[in-house]
Amino acid sequence: MLISVQMPDSAEAARAGLQAGAIPLGGGTHLMARLNDAAGGDVRLVSLRRAGLRGIDVDGATVALGAATTLADIEDDARLSYLSRCVRSIASPPVRSLATVAGNLFVPQPYGDLAAALLALDAELDVLGADGARREPLERIVTDGLPAGELVTCVRFTAPAKDTFRFYKASRRRLNSGSIVTVAARITIDDGLVGDVRLVLGGLARRLVRAVGAERVLLGAPLTAEVVARAAGADAIEPFDDAYASAWYRARVYPVHLRRALLGA
Amino acid sequence: MPSTIVTLKLNGTERELIARPSTTLLNALRETFGLMGAKRGCAQGGCGSCTVLLDGRPVVSCLVPVVTVDGSTVETIEGLADGDRLSDVQQAFVDLFATQCGFCTPGMIMSATALLDRNPDPSRQEVTEAICGNVCRCTGYEPIITAVLTAAERRRGAAPAPAPAPAPAKADV
Repeated sequence: MLISVQMPDSAEAARAGLQAGAIPLGGGTHLMARLNDAAGGDVRLVSLRRAGLRGIDVDGATVALGAATTLADIEDDARLSYLSRCVRSIASPPVRSLATVAGNLFVPQPYGDLAAALLALDAELDVLGADGARREPLERIVTDGLPAGELVTCVRFTAPAKDTFRFYKASRRRLNSGSIVTVAARITIDDGLVGDVRLVLGGLARRLVRAVGAERVLLGAPLTAEVVARAAGADAIEPFDDAYASAWYRARVYPVHLRRALLGA
Repeated sequence: MPSTIVTLKLNGTERELIARPSTTLLNALRETFGLMGAKRGCAQGGCGSCTVLLDGRPVVSCLVPVVTVDGSTVETIEGLADGDRLSDVQQAFVDLFATQCGFCTPGMIMSATALLDRNPDPSRQEVTEAICGNVCRCTGYEPIITAVLTAAERRRGAAPAPAPAPAPAKADV
């Protein structure tokens, strides 16, 4: 049962609440649904709504998203139009008005599509811990998680150059559905060959996967159907069964969706 | 944690309630203020039947602890009509037969109202996206989409609202 909701007015006060054993509450779109769903032990929350963590700062190519920035805020910001396809693929408008950037980093698969995009953009996180603030690669947090009592305050990344960011999501329905396969990629083509690539997969394992095998196949190669097909076989994926799709189906259609993500056909 | 006093600007009026930490915005609307328009459907944010406007944005009120929105502006379906005069979206739902059982209707209308307040000239695709979180189990989506587009046309002055129907003649008894 939800027995307390703190409303700190600063990140440090929020962190102190977490240090005392409370759980961070962003938009509540995952956590509150779980609390509504079943009786359980006592739960104490720290809401980030008033902690001064909401806002978008774009300075040249450097982007900073406050942890409590909502997905709707991103959707509304023309400077982040390259994330529009990703954000609009997530849930529905009444959910995106609540859901936060940092919350999306920690939802279980097959959700967390914004996190896939941010990982493809090689984002870094500002983390506030007992020893003060530090910067962490998102990739490390996705892999290792965040120690209890610590708070993500900001997500930082470099905006992709024009036409270098791809986001593709295959889902059960065209709108408002969890992922079957999500592909997020930052990819540049130099003289017909892949010059740089960073490829992230969602829906294909219990956590987001950076497809390093596929990246190796693609790097320096022409972006052709044959090369992309080889790339799709280069990583060991561990898909799962859920209400959206079976593990078998996810594995079966992954090469198709990688091709569509990278080649558009 | 004790209960706390929460203040909302609810349908244009300052209102207060005493809320426990576990009181959701939906519970506050229905159980404290007696506003039964927003419905408790799934309590998972998945059906949209509890959709209201929070500071002008559509939200699923079942997922919002009301203590976290102290001082906010909340608009519900009950606040749309001006006396007996329905809002343009409500009137279009009536005119275009866009309700069946009615359970989803308040959420649909609040999502549609949020859309038209920001975009008075939406495409059909934009309407579909705006209501994609509102589930109608009567599956009457087509007349709902038509009603929203019609409300938009009327709001832009592109299509006149129909004249009010004359009051039915009293039957002789």
